[in-house]
Amino acid sequence: MDGTGDAQQMSNSVLGARSLGKTFANGSVVALEGATFDIRPGSFVSLVGPSGCGKSTLLRLIAGLIERTSGQVSVHGTDVSGPRTDVAMMFQKATLLDWRTAIENVLLPTEMARSVTKDDQKHAAELLKLVGLEEFLFAFPSQLSGGMQQRVALARLLQTGADVLLLDEPFGALDEFTRERLNVELMRIVGEVKATTLFVTHNIAEAIFLADQVFVMTPRPGRIAATIDVPFERPRPLSLQTSPEFNTLVAEVRDVLGDDH
Amino acid sequence: MAVSDGISPPRRIGLTMPRRRLLTHAVIFLVLVGLWEIGSRAGWLDPLFYPRPSNILRSFWLIYVQNGNVWFHLYATLGLVFAGFVAGSILGVGLGALVGFQPLVRRFIKPYVIVLEATPRIAVAPLLIAALGFGAPSKIAIIMLVCFFAPFINTLSGVVNVSEDRLELFNSLGAGKMQVLRKLVLPEALPVIMAGERLALTAALSGALVAEFIQRDQGIGSLILIYTRNLNMASAFACIFTLTIIGFLIFRGMEWIDNRIAFWNTEAGMARVGTKRALAFRGAHG
Ligand SMILES: Nc1ncnc2c1ncn2[C@@H]1O[C@H](COP(=O)(O)OP(=O)(O)OP(=O)(O)O)[C@@H](O)[C@H]1O
Ligand SMILES: [Mg+2]
Repeated sequence: MDGTGDAQQMSNSVLGARSLGKTFANGSVVALEGATFDIRPGSFVSLVGPSGCGKSTLLRLIAGLIERTSGQVSVHGTDVSGPRTDVAMMFQKATLLDWRTAIENVLLPTEMARSVTKDDQKHAAELLKLVGLEEFLFAFPSQLSGGMQQRVALARLLQTGADVLLLDEPFGALDEFTRERLNVELMRIVGEVKATTLFVTHNIAEAIFLADQVFVMTPRPGRIAATIDVPFERPRPLSLQTSPEFNTLVAEVRDVLGDDH
Repeated sequence: MAVSDGISPPRRIGLTMPRRRLLTHAVIFLVLVGLWEIGSRAGWLDPLFYPRPSNILRSFWLIYVQNGNVWFHLYATLGLVFAGFVAGSILGVGLGALVGFQPLVRRFIKPYVIVLEATPRIAVAPLLIAALGFGAPSKIAIIMLVCFFAPFINTLSGVVNVSEDRLELFNSLGAGKMQVLRKLVLPEALPVIMAGERLALTAALSGALVAEFIQRDQGIGSLILIYTRNLNMASAFACIFTLTIIGFLIFRGMEWIDNRIAFWNTEAGMARVGTKRALAFRGAHG
Protein backbone atom coordinates (compact mmCIF):
# COMPACT_ATOMS: atom_id res chain seq x y z
CA MET A 1 0.00 0.00 0.00
CA ASP A 2 1.33 3.37 -1.05
CA GLY A 3 1.03 5.36 2.18
CA THR A 4 1.25 8.95 0.92
CA GLY A 5 -1.03 8.42 -2.06
CA ASP A 6 -3.66 6.75 0.11
CA ALA A 7 -3.55 9.44 2.74
CA GLN A 8 -4.02 12.04 0.02
CA GLN A 9 -6.93 10.15 -1.50
CA MET A 10 -8.59 9.64 1.89
CA SER A 11 -8.49 13.27 2.87
CA ASN A 12 -10.46 14.11 -0.27
CA SER A 13 -13.21 11.55 0.27
CA VAL A 14 -16.18 12.00 2.57
CA LEU A 15 -15.73 8.59 4.05
CA GLY A 16 -12.76 6.33 3.62
CA ALA A 17 -11.20 3.20 5.08
CA ARG A 18 -7.83 1.48 4.69
CA SER A 19 -7.40 -2.17 5.69
CA LEU A 20 -10.00 -1.56 8.37
CA GLY A 21 -10.45 -4.55 10.66
CA LYS A 22 -12.25 -5.54 13.85
CA THR A 23 -11.92 -8.71 15.89
CA PHE A 24 -13.94 -9.77 18.92
CA ALA A 25 -13.24 -12.19 21.74
CA ASN A 26 -9.49 -11.52 21.86
CA GLY A 27 -9.07 -11.96 18.15
CA SER A 28 -10.86 -15.30 17.83
CA VAL A 29 -13.81 -13.76 15.96
CA VAL A 30 -12.83 -11.77 12.89
CA ALA A 31 -15.90 -9.60 12.33
CA LEU A 32 -14.30 -7.45 9.64
CA GLU A 33 -11.03 -7.67 7.75
CA GLY A 34 -9.19 -5.49 5.26
CA ALA A 35 -11.99 -3.10 4.37
CA THR A 36 -10.63 -0.49 1.96
CA PHE A 37 -12.85 2.02 0.16
CA ASP A 38 -13.52 5.65 -0.59
CA ILE A 39 -17.04 6.99 -0.87
CA ARG A 40 -17.88 9.94 -3.11
CA PRO A 41 -19.68 12.91 -1.54
CA GLY A 42 -23.45 12.62 -1.80
CA SER A 43 -23.46 9.06 -3.04
CA PHE A 44 -25.68 6.26 -1.81
CA VAL A 45 -23.86 3.02 -1.01
CA SER A 46 -25.61 -0.23 -0.14
CA LEU A 47 -23.96 -2.92 1.96
CA VAL A 48 -25.35 -6.34 1.19
CA GLY A 49 -24.35 -9.73 2.50
CA PRO A 50 -25.46 -12.67 4.63
CA SER A 51 -25.91 -12.50 8.38
CA GLY A 52 -22.65 -12.20 10.30
CA CYS A 53 -20.52 -10.78 7.47
CA GLY A 54 -19.70 -7.65 9.45
CA LYS A 55 -22.15 -5.09 8.05
CA SER A 56 -23.18 -3.72 11.44
CA THR A 57 -19.59 -3.88 12.64
CA LEU A 58 -18.46 -1.70 9.74
CA LEU A 59 -21.18 0.85 10.43
CA ARG A 60 -20.43 0.95 14.13
CA LEU A 61 -16.74 1.48 13.41
CA ILE A 62 -17.59 4.45 11.19
CA ALA A 63 -20.00 5.82 13.81
CA GLY A 64 -17.24 5.60 16.39
CA LEU A 65 -19.30 3.32 18.61
CA ILE A 66 -16.62 0.62 18.74
CA GLU A 67 -12.86 0.77 18.38
CA ARG A 68 -11.12 -0.76 15.38
CA THR A 69 -8.43 -3.37 15.92
CA SER A 70 -6.55 -2.57 12.72
CA GLY A 71 -6.39 -0.17 9.79
CA GLN A 72 -7.80 3.31 9.40
CA VAL A 73 -11.17 4.96 9.00
CA SER A 74 -11.81 8.64 8.40
CA VAL A 75 -14.70 11.01 7.78
CA HIS A 76 -14.11 14.32 6.01
CA GLY A 77 -10.43 13.55 6.15
CA THR A 78 -10.23 13.25 9.93
CA ASP A 79 -9.66 10.07 11.84
CA VAL A 80 -12.71 8.57 13.57
CA SER A 81 -11.95 8.30 17.27
CA GLY A 82 -15.47 8.33 18.74
CA PRO A 83 -19.03 9.48 18.04
CA ARG A 84 -19.07 12.73 16.06
CA THR A 85 -21.65 15.24 14.95
CA ASP A 86 -21.12 14.86 11.20
CA VAL A 87 -22.05 11.15 11.33
CA ALA A 88 -25.44 9.83 12.39
CA MET A 89 -26.81 6.32 12.61
CA MET A 90 -30.24 4.75 12.32
CA PHE A 91 -31.01 1.29 13.60
CA GLN A 92 -33.31 -1.59 12.68
CA LYS A 93 -35.49 -0.74 15.65
CA ALA A 94 -36.88 2.79 15.78
CA THR A 95 -35.48 3.14 19.33
CA LEU A 96 -37.74 6.02 20.27
CA LEU A 97 -38.23 7.29 23.80
CA ASP A 98 -41.75 6.25 24.86
CA TRP A 99 -42.16 9.23 27.17
CA ARG A 100 -41.57 11.79 24.44
CA THR A 101 -43.85 12.96 21.66
CA ALA A 102 -42.72 12.49 18.06
CA ILE A 103 -41.34 16.02 17.84
CA GLU A 104 -39.58 15.72 21.19
CA ASN A 105 -37.96 12.53 19.95
CA VAL A 106 -36.78 14.32 16.83
CA LEU A 107 -35.29 17.08 18.98
CA LEU A 108 -33.20 14.68 21.06
CA PRO A 109 -29.99 15.05 18.98
CA THR A 110 -30.20 18.84 19.30
CA GLU A 111 -30.63 18.62 23.08
CA MET A 112 -27.37 16.72 23.28
CA ALA A 113 -25.50 19.68 21.84
CA ARG A 114 -27.29 22.76 23.18
CA SER A 115 -30.59 24.06 24.50
CA VAL A 116 -33.43 23.85 22.02
CA THR A 117 -34.56 27.06 20.31
CA LYS A 118 -37.81 27.91 18.58
CA ASP A 119 -36.03 27.52 15.25
CA ASP A 120 -34.93 24.02 16.22
CA GLN A 121 -38.55 23.19 16.98
CA LYS A 122 -39.66 24.59 13.65
CA HIS A 123 -36.96 22.60 11.88
CA ALA A 124 -38.02 19.39 13.65
CA ALA A 125 -41.63 20.01 12.66
CA GLU A 126 -40.55 20.48 9.05
CA LEU A 127 -38.58 17.24 9.10
CA LEU A 128 -41.62 15.39 10.43
CA LYS A 129 -43.56 16.89 7.55
CA LEU A 130 -40.84 15.75 5.16
CA VAL A 131 -41.31 12.14 6.34
CA GLY A 132 -45.10 12.49 6.07
CA LEU A 133 -45.97 12.85 9.74
CA GLU A 134 -47.19 16.44 9.95
CA GLU A 135 -50.39 15.17 11.58
CA PHE A 136 -48.53 13.33 14.31
CA LEU A 137 -46.14 15.85 15.85
CA PHE A 138 -47.53 15.27 19.33
CA ALA A 139 -48.27 11.56 19.15
CA PHE A 140 -46.36 9.25 21.46
CA PRO A 141 -44.43 6.30 19.95
CA SER A 142 -46.86 3.67 21.20
CA GLN A 143 -49.65 5.50 19.36
CA LEU A 144 -47.80 5.07 16.04
CA SER A 145 -47.47 2.07 13.72
CA GLY A 146 -44.08 0.44 13.15
CA GLY A 147 -43.64 2.24 9.83
CA MET A 148 -44.53 5.60 11.38
CA GLN A 149 -42.08 5.00 14.21
CA GLN A 150 -39.31 4.45 11.68
CA ARG A 151 -40.31 7.68 9.97
CA VAL A 152 -39.84 9.49 13.28
CA ALA A 153 -36.43 7.82 13.62
CA LEU A 154 -35.59 9.01 10.10
CA ALA A 155 -36.58 12.57 10.98
CA ARG A 156 -34.44 12.33 14.10
CA LEU A 157 -31.54 11.12 11.96
CA LEU A 158 -31.90 14.18 9.72
CA GLN A 159 -32.26 16.52 12.72
CA THR A 160 -28.65 15.72 13.66
CA GLY A 161 -27.58 17.72 10.63
CA ALA A 162 -24.96 15.06 9.88
CA ASP A 163 -24.04 14.66 6.23
CA VAL A 164 -22.90 11.06 6.60
CA LEU A 165 -25.89 8.83 7.31
CA LEU A 166 -25.47 5.22 8.38
CA LEU A 167 -28.59 3.11 8.14
CA ASP A 168 -28.48 -0.42 9.54
CA GLU A 169 -31.41 -2.32 8.00
CA PRO A 170 -33.65 0.63 8.92
CA PHE A 171 -36.83 -0.92 7.53
CA GLY A 172 -35.88 -4.57 8.02
CA ALA A 173 -38.56 -5.19 10.63
CA LEU A 174 -41.40 -3.79 8.51
CA ASP A 175 -43.71 -5.50 6.05
CA GLU A 176 -42.86 -5.63 2.33
CA PHE A 177 -45.23 -2.85 1.24
CA THR A 178 -44.26 -0.39 3.94
CA ARG A 179 -40.59 -1.12 3.32
CA GLU A 180 -40.82 -0.48 -0.40
CA ARG A 181 -42.67 2.81 0.16
CA LEU A 182 -40.17 3.97 2.76
CA ASN A 183 -37.24 3.01 0.53
CA VAL A 184 -38.54 5.23 -2.24
CA GLU A 185 -39.08 8.09 0.20
CA LEU A 186 -35.63 7.55 1.68
CA MET A 187 -34.07 7.91 -1.79
CA ARG A 188 -35.94 11.16 -2.33
CA ILE A 189 -35.09 12.57 1.10
CA VAL A 190 -31.35 11.81 1.20
CA GLY A 191 -31.19 13.23 -2.32
CA GLU A 192 -32.84 16.42 -1.07
CA VAL A 193 -30.53 16.87 1.91
CA LYS A 194 -27.51 15.81 -0.19
CA ALA A 195 -26.20 13.39 2.42
CA THR A 196 -23.72 10.60 1.85
CA THR A 197 -25.52 7.40 2.78
CA LEU A 198 -24.42 3.93 3.79
CA PHE A 199 -27.36 1.55 3.78
CA VAL A 200 -27.30 -2.01 5.09
CA THR A 201 -29.70 -4.63 3.79
CA HIS A 202 -30.10 -8.38 3.29
CA ASN A 203 -32.08 -7.82 0.13
CA ILE A 204 -30.07 -7.78 -3.11
CA ALA A 205 -32.73 -6.09 -5.27
CA GLU A 206 -33.28 -3.44 -2.62
CA ALA A 207 -29.52 -2.84 -2.35
CA ILE A 208 -29.19 -2.26 -6.09
CA PHE A 209 -32.39 -0.30 -6.55
CA LEU A 210 -31.39 2.34 -3.97
CA ALA A 211 -27.67 2.66 -4.57
CA ASP A 212 -25.02 4.29 -6.71
CA GLN A 213 -22.64 1.61 -5.52
CA VAL A 214 -23.10 -1.78 -3.85
CA PHE A 215 -20.52 -3.27 -1.47
CA VAL A 216 -21.00 -7.02 -1.51
CA MET A 217 -19.79 -8.59 1.73
CA THR A 218 -18.98 -12.19 2.57
CA PRO A 219 -18.56 -13.80 6.01
CA ARG A 220 -15.82 -15.69 7.92
CA PRO A 221 -13.89 -13.49 7.92
CA GLY A 222 -16.14 -10.53 7.15
CA ARG A 223 -14.83 -8.66 4.12
CA ILE A 224 -15.92 -6.56 1.18
CA ALA A 225 -15.71 -9.08 -1.64
CA ALA A 226 -16.78 -6.79 -4.49
CA THR A 227 -17.81 -3.24 -5.27
CA ILE A 228 -20.43 -2.94 -7.99
CA ASP A 229 -21.39 0.34 -9.66
CA VAL A 230 -25.08 0.93 -10.36
CA PRO A 231 -25.42 3.15 -13.45
CA PHE A 232 -29.21 3.79 -13.53
CA GLU A 233 -30.21 7.42 -13.43
CA ARG A 234 -32.59 8.96 -10.92
CA PRO A 235 -35.40 9.19 -10.17
CA ARG A 236 -35.83 5.45 -10.56
CA PRO A 237 -39.30 3.97 -11.10
CA LEU A 238 -40.20 0.77 -9.20
CA SER A 239 -40.57 -0.94 -12.59
CA LEU A 240 -36.79 -0.65 -13.02
CA GLN A 241 -36.53 -3.81 -10.94
CA THR A 242 -38.01 -5.93 -13.73
CA SER A 243 -35.67 -4.67 -16.44
CA PRO A 244 -33.00 -7.01 -17.91
CA GLU A 245 -30.17 -4.60 -17.01
CA PHE A 246 -31.28 -4.61 -13.40
CA ASN A 247 -31.39 -8.38 -13.32
CA THR A 248 -27.93 -8.63 -14.80
CA LEU A 249 -26.67 -6.67 -11.77
CA VAL A 250 -28.65 -8.91 -9.41
CA ALA A 251 -27.00 -11.94 -11.00
CA GLU A 252 -23.59 -10.29 -10.64
CA VAL A 253 -24.12 -9.73 -6.90
CA ARG A 254 -25.43 -13.27 -6.47
CA ASP A 255 -22.35 -14.57 -8.18
CA VAL A 256 -20.07 -12.87 -5.66
CA LEU A 257 -22.13 -14.14 -2.74
CA GLY A 258 -21.92 -17.71 -4.00
CA ASP A 259 -24.18 -20.53 -2.94
CA ASP A 260 -24.93 -19.33 0.58
CA HIS A 261 -27.31 -16.58 -0.42
CA MET B 1 -35.08 -9.37 40.32
CA ALA B 2 -37.77 -6.71 40.13
CA VAL B 3 -40.54 -6.90 42.69
CA SER B 4 -42.98 -5.65 40.10
CA ASP B 5 -42.64 -5.13 36.38
CA GLY B 6 -44.45 -1.80 36.45
CA ILE B 7 -45.42 -2.42 32.86
CA SER B 8 -48.82 -4.02 33.18
CA PRO B 9 -51.53 -1.38 33.31
CA PRO B 10 -52.77 -0.68 36.82
CA ARG B 11 -55.94 -2.59 37.65
CA ARG B 12 -58.84 -0.40 38.52
CA ILE B 13 -61.44 -1.24 41.09
CA GLY B 14 -64.64 0.50 42.06
CA LEU B 15 -65.48 3.90 40.71
CA THR B 16 -64.86 3.23 37.01
CA MET B 17 -67.19 0.22 36.78
CA PRO B 18 -70.32 0.47 34.67
CA ARG B 19 -73.44 1.40 36.61
CA ARG B 20 -75.13 -2.04 36.32
CA ARG B 21 -72.12 -3.80 37.80
CA LEU B 22 -71.85 -1.23 40.57
CA LEU B 23 -75.51 -1.86 41.44
CA THR B 24 -74.96 -5.63 41.55
CA HIS B 25 -72.00 -5.16 43.87
CA ALA B 26 -74.03 -2.89 46.15
CA VAL B 27 -76.84 -5.44 46.35
CA ILE B 28 -74.45 -8.30 47.15
CA PHE B 29 -72.73 -6.18 49.79
CA LEU B 30 -76.01 -5.26 51.47
CA VAL B 31 -77.17 -8.88 51.46
CA LEU B 32 -73.91 -10.00 53.10
CA VAL B 33 -74.09 -7.29 55.76
CA GLY B 34 -77.75 -8.11 56.29
CA LEU B 35 -76.99 -11.82 56.76
CA TRP B 36 -74.25 -10.91 59.22
CA GLU B 37 -76.66 -8.71 61.17
CA ILE B 38 -79.39 -11.38 61.20
CA GLY B 39 -76.90 -14.15 62.04
CA SER B 40 -75.58 -12.13 64.91
CA ARG B 41 -79.05 -11.33 66.28
CA ALA B 42 -80.25 -14.92 65.88
CA GLY B 43 -77.22 -16.18 67.76
CA TRP B 44 -75.63 -18.16 64.86
CA LEU B 45 -72.55 -15.99 65.17
CA ASP B 46 -70.91 -15.43 68.56
CA PRO B 47 -71.64 -11.72 69.12
CA LEU B 48 -68.53 -11.49 71.25
CA PHE B 49 -66.23 -12.04 68.30
CA TYR B 50 -68.51 -11.05 65.45
CA PRO B 51 -70.24 -7.85 66.55
CA ARG B 52 -73.32 -6.82 64.61
CA PRO B 53 -72.76 -4.43 61.72
CA SER B 54 -75.15 -2.01 63.43
CA ASN B 55 -72.96 -2.05 66.52
CA ILE B 56 -69.84 -1.46 64.43
CA LEU B 57 -71.57 1.49 62.84
CA ARG B 58 -72.38 2.84 66.29
CA SER B 59 -68.77 2.36 67.34
CA PHE B 60 -67.69 4.41 64.34
CA TRP B 61 -69.89 7.20 65.59
CA LEU B 62 -68.58 6.73 69.11
CA ILE B 63 -64.86 6.82 68.39
CA TYR B 64 -65.00 9.47 65.67
CA VAL B 65 -67.68 11.83 66.95
CA GLN B 66 -68.92 11.24 70.45
CA ASN B 67 -65.59 10.43 72.09
CA GLY B 68 -63.47 11.50 69.17
CA ASN B 69 -60.58 9.56 70.69
CA VAL B 70 -59.58 7.86 67.42
CA TRP B 71 -58.27 11.01 65.75
CA PHE B 72 -55.23 11.29 67.96
CA HIS B 73 -54.26 7.70 67.20
CA LEU B 74 -55.06 8.05 63.52
CA TYR B 75 -52.75 11.04 63.20
CA ALA B 76 -50.04 9.22 65.14
CA THR B 77 -50.20 6.23 62.80
CA LEU B 78 -50.38 8.28 59.60
CA GLY B 79 -47.51 10.47 60.76
CA LEU B 80 -45.40 7.37 61.34
CA VAL B 81 -46.36 5.87 58.00
CA PHE B 82 -45.49 9.08 56.20
CA ALA B 83 -42.16 9.63 57.95
CA GLY B 84 -41.07 6.00 57.61
CA PHE B 85 -42.20 5.74 54.00
CA VAL B 86 -40.46 8.92 52.89
CA ALA B 87 -37.23 8.06 54.70
CA GLY B 88 -37.29 4.40 53.66
CA SER B 89 -38.07 5.01 50.02
CA ILE B 90 -35.60 7.87 49.62
CA LEU B 91 -32.97 5.55 51.05
CA GLY B 92 -34.16 2.72 48.78
CA VAL B 93 -34.23 4.76 45.57
CA GLY B 94 -30.95 6.49 46.40
CA LEU B 95 -29.05 3.32 47.23
CA GLY B 96 -30.68 1.47 44.33
CA ALA B 97 -29.50 4.13 41.87
CA LEU B 98 -26.04 4.27 43.44
CA VAL B 99 -25.56 0.51 43.36
CA GLY B 100 -27.06 0.32 39.86
CA PHE B 101 -24.49 2.72 38.47
CA GLN B 102 -21.49 0.97 40.03
CA PRO B 103 -21.00 -2.47 38.45
CA LEU B 104 -18.31 -3.30 40.98
CA VAL B 105 -20.38 -2.36 44.01
CA ARG B 106 -23.26 -4.29 42.47
CA ARG B 107 -21.29 -7.50 42.24
CA PHE B 108 -20.23 -7.38 45.88
CA ILE B 109 -23.55 -6.24 47.25
CA LYS B 110 -25.58 -8.91 45.48
CA PRO B 111 -25.15 -11.67 48.12
CA TYR B 112 -26.41 -9.31 50.83
CA VAL B 113 -29.40 -8.37 48.73
CA ILE B 114 -30.27 -12.05 48.36
CA VAL B 115 -29.91 -12.63 52.11
CA LEU B 116 -31.99 -9.55 52.90
CA GLU B 117 -34.62 -10.63 50.40
CA ALA B 118 -34.93 -14.06 52.00
CA THR B 119 -35.25 -12.69 55.56
CA PRO B 120 -38.69 -11.52 56.72
CA ARG B 121 -37.88 -7.91 57.57
CA ILE B 122 -40.38 -7.80 60.44
CA ALA B 123 -38.28 -10.38 62.31
CA VAL B 124 -35.72 -7.67 62.94
CA ALA B 125 -38.27 -5.36 64.64
CA PRO B 126 -37.53 -6.44 68.25
CA LEU B 127 -33.82 -5.88 67.64
CA LEU B 128 -34.48 -2.37 66.41
CA ILE B 129 -36.48 -1.62 69.56
CA ALA B 130 -33.73 -3.04 71.71
CA ALA B 131 -31.21 -0.82 69.93
CA LEU B 132 -33.27 2.38 69.68
CA GLY B 133 -35.56 2.04 72.69
CA PHE B 134 -39.32 2.59 72.80
CA GLY B 135 -40.72 5.61 71.00
CA ALA B 136 -40.95 7.14 67.56
CA PRO B 137 -37.37 6.50 66.33
CA SER B 138 -37.60 2.72 66.60
CA LYS B 139 -41.10 2.73 65.07
CA ILE B 140 -39.90 4.77 62.12
CA ALA B 141 -36.89 2.50 61.80
CA ILE B 142 -39.19 -0.54 61.56
CA ILE B 143 -41.27 1.13 58.86
CA MET B 144 -38.14 2.18 56.99
CA LEU B 145 -36.93 -1.38 57.10
CA VAL B 146 -40.13 -2.82 55.60
CA CYS B 147 -40.47 -0.18 52.91
CA PHE B 148 -36.84 0.13 51.91
CA PHE B 149 -36.63 -3.03 49.92
CA ALA B 150 -39.14 -2.67 47.06
CA PRO B 151 -37.92 0.80 45.95
CA PHE B 152 -34.32 -0.37 46.31
CA ILE B 153 -34.72 -3.47 44.18
CA ASN B 154 -36.95 -1.81 41.61
CA THR B 155 -34.70 1.21 41.22
CA LEU B 156 -31.68 -1.05 40.95
CA SER B 157 -33.24 -3.23 38.28
CA GLY B 158 -34.67 -0.20 36.48
CA VAL B 159 -31.23 1.37 36.29
CA VAL B 160 -29.43 -1.85 35.38
CA ASN B 161 -31.92 -2.96 32.75
CA VAL B 162 -31.78 0.22 30.73
CA SER B 163 -32.41 -0.62 27.07
CA GLU B 164 -29.21 -1.50 25.20
CA ASP B 165 -30.60 -0.10 21.96
CA ARG B 166 -31.37 3.26 23.48
CA LEU B 167 -27.99 3.35 25.16
CA GLU B 168 -26.35 2.81 21.77
CA LEU B 169 -28.51 5.59 20.30
CA PHE B 170 -27.40 7.97 23.05
CA ASN B 171 -23.78 6.95 22.52
CA SER B 172 -24.05 7.55 18.79
CA LEU B 173 -25.36 11.05 19.57
CA GLY B 174 -22.33 11.67 21.75
CA ALA B 175 -24.38 11.96 24.96
CA GLY B 176 -22.55 12.65 28.20
CA LYS B 177 -23.05 10.64 31.40
CA MET B 178 -25.43 13.14 32.97
CA GLN B 179 -27.49 13.32 29.77
CA VAL B 180 -27.81 9.54 29.69
CA LEU B 181 -28.90 9.61 33.33
CA ARG B 182 -31.40 12.46 33.02
CA LYS B 183 -32.85 11.82 29.60
CA LEU B 184 -32.71 8.02 29.43
CA VAL B 185 -32.09 6.06 32.62
CA LEU B 186 -34.36 7.96 35.01
CA PRO B 187 -37.39 8.33 32.73
CA GLU B 188 -37.12 4.73 31.61
CA ALA B 189 -36.86 3.48 35.21
CA LEU B 190 -39.63 5.75 36.50
CA PRO B 191 -42.60 3.35 36.07
CA VAL B 192 -40.68 0.54 37.77
CA ILE B 193 -39.57 2.84 40.59
CA MET B 194 -43.18 3.96 41.06
CA ALA B 195 -44.32 0.33 41.23
CA GLY B 196 -41.79 -0.13 44.03
CA GLU B 197 -43.12 2.94 45.83
CA ARG B 198 -46.64 1.53 45.69
CA LEU B 199 -45.55 -1.67 47.36
CA ALA B 200 -43.54 0.32 49.89
CA LEU B 201 -46.45 2.48 50.98
CA THR B 202 -48.66 -0.56 51.55
CA ALA B 203 -45.82 -2.19 53.48
CA ALA B 204 -45.38 1.01 55.52
CA LEU B 205 -48.93 0.75 56.84
CA SER B 206 -48.39 -2.87 57.93
CA GLY B 207 -45.03 -1.91 59.42
CA ALA B 208 -46.62 0.87 61.46
CA LEU B 209 -49.23 -1.54 62.85
CA VAL B 210 -46.60 -4.09 63.85
CA ALA B 211 -44.56 -1.36 65.55
CA GLU B 212 -47.65 -0.22 67.44
CA PHE B 213 -48.63 -3.77 68.39
CA ILE B 214 -45.23 -4.15 69.98
CA GLN B 215 -45.05 -0.77 71.69
CA ARG B 216 -48.75 -0.34 72.58
CA ASP B 217 -48.47 3.32 73.48
CA GLN B 218 -50.42 5.09 70.74
CA GLY B 219 -51.72 4.71 67.20
CA ILE B 220 -54.44 2.68 65.54
CA GLY B 221 -52.45 -0.53 66.10
CA SER B 222 -52.39 -0.10 69.86
CA LEU B 223 -56.01 1.01 69.84
CA ILE B 224 -57.04 -2.25 68.12
CA LEU B 225 -55.02 -4.13 70.73
CA ILE B 226 -56.69 -2.34 73.63
CA TYR B 227 -60.24 -2.71 72.26
CA THR B 228 -59.71 -6.39 71.60
CA ARG B 229 -58.36 -6.92 75.12
CA ASN B 230 -61.39 -5.20 76.56
CA LEU B 231 -63.57 -7.38 74.33
CA ASN B 232 -64.88 -4.24 72.66
CA MET B 233 -64.93 -5.97 69.29
CA ALA B 234 -67.24 -3.47 67.61
CA SER B 235 -64.74 -0.67 68.16
CA ALA B 236 -61.86 -2.92 67.10
CA PHE B 237 -63.72 -3.62 63.86
CA ALA B 238 -64.34 0.09 63.38
CA CYS B 239 -60.59 0.61 63.62
CA ILE B 240 -59.90 -2.22 61.20
CA PHE B 241 -62.38 -0.85 58.66
CA THR B 242 -60.74 2.55 59.10
CA LEU B 243 -57.51 0.91 57.98
CA THR B 244 -59.33 -0.69 55.06
CA ILE B 245 -60.45 2.72 53.92
CA ILE B 246 -56.97 4.19 54.40
CA GLY B 247 -55.45 1.29 52.49
CA PHE B 248 -57.88 1.85 49.65
CA LEU B 249 -57.22 5.59 49.57
CA ILE B 250 -53.47 4.97 49.54
CA PHE B 251 -53.88 2.55 46.65
CA ARG B 252 -55.98 4.96 44.63
CA GLY B 253 -53.79 7.90 45.50
CA MET B 254 -50.65 6.11 44.37
CA GLU B 255 -52.42 4.98 41.22
CA TRP B 256 -53.34 8.59 40.50
CA ILE B 257 -49.79 9.82 41.08
CA ASP B 258 -48.45 6.93 39.01
CA ASN B 259 -50.70 7.88 36.11
CA ARG B 260 -49.45 11.46 36.32
CA ILE B 261 -45.78 10.51 36.42
CA ALA B 262 -45.71 7.52 34.06
CA PHE B 263 -48.40 9.01 31.82
CA TRP B 264 -47.14 7.25 28.69
CA ASN B 265 -48.35 3.88 29.95
CA THR B 266 -52.03 4.69 29.49
CA GLU B 267 -54.00 5.94 26.50
CA ALA B 268 -55.70 8.58 28.65
CA GLY B 269 -52.36 9.81 29.97
CA MET B 270 -50.88 10.13 26.49
CA ALA B 271 -53.96 11.92 25.20
CA ARG B 272 -53.85 14.38 28.11
CA VAL B 273 -50.13 15.18 27.87
CA GLY B 274 -50.09 15.13 24.06
CA THR B 275 -52.87 17.71 23.91
CA LYS B 276 -51.14 19.88 26.48
CA ARG B 277 -47.82 19.86 24.60
CA ALA B 278 -49.54 20.55 21.29
CA LEU B 279 -51.23 23.60 22.80
CA ALA B 280 -47.96 24.84 24.29
CA PHE B 281 -46.23 24.42 20.93
CA ARG B 282 -48.93 26.24 19.00
CA GLY B 283 -48.93 28.98 21.62
CA ALA B 284 -45.19 29.47 21.16
CA HIS B 285 -45.28 29.33 17.37
CA GLY B 286 -48.38 31.40 16.71
N1 LIG C 1 -19.96 -7.36 20.51
C1 LIG C 1 -19.58 -8.50 19.89
N2 LIG C 1 -18.92 -9.46 20.55
C2 LIG C 1 -18.53 -10.59 19.93
N3 LIG C 1 -18.76 -10.87 18.64
C3 LIG C 1 -19.42 -9.96 17.92
C4 LIG C 1 -19.88 -8.73 18.50
N4 LIG C 1 -20.50 -8.02 17.53
C5 LIG C 1 -20.44 -8.75 16.41
N5 LIG C 1 -19.81 -9.93 16.64
C6 LIG C 1 -19.53 -10.97 15.64
O1 LIG C 1 -18.98 -10.36 14.52
C7 LIG C 1 -19.51 -10.93 13.33
C8 LIG C 1 -20.11 -9.85 12.47
O2 LIG C 1 -21.25 -9.30 13.16
P1 LIG C 1 -22.16 -8.15 12.55
O3 LIG C 1 -23.18 -7.84 13.57
O4 LIG C 1 -21.30 -7.06 12.07
O5 LIG C 1 -22.83 -8.90 11.32
P2 LIG C 1 -23.97 -8.38 10.35
O6 LIG C 1 -23.44 -8.49 8.98
O7 LIG C 1 -24.46 -7.06 10.79
O8 LIG C 1 -25.08 -9.47 10.55
P3 LIG C 1 -26.67 -9.30 10.50
O9 LIG C 1 -27.04 -9.27 9.07
O10 LIG C 1 -27.17 -10.54 11.17
O11 LIG C 1 -27.02 -8.06 11.24
C9 LIG C 1 -20.50 -11.99 13.75
O12 LIG C 1 -19.85 -13.25 13.70
C10 LIG C 1 -20.81 -11.62 15.16
O13 LIG C 1 -21.11 -12.76 15.91
MG1 LIG D 1 -26.33 -6.31 11.59
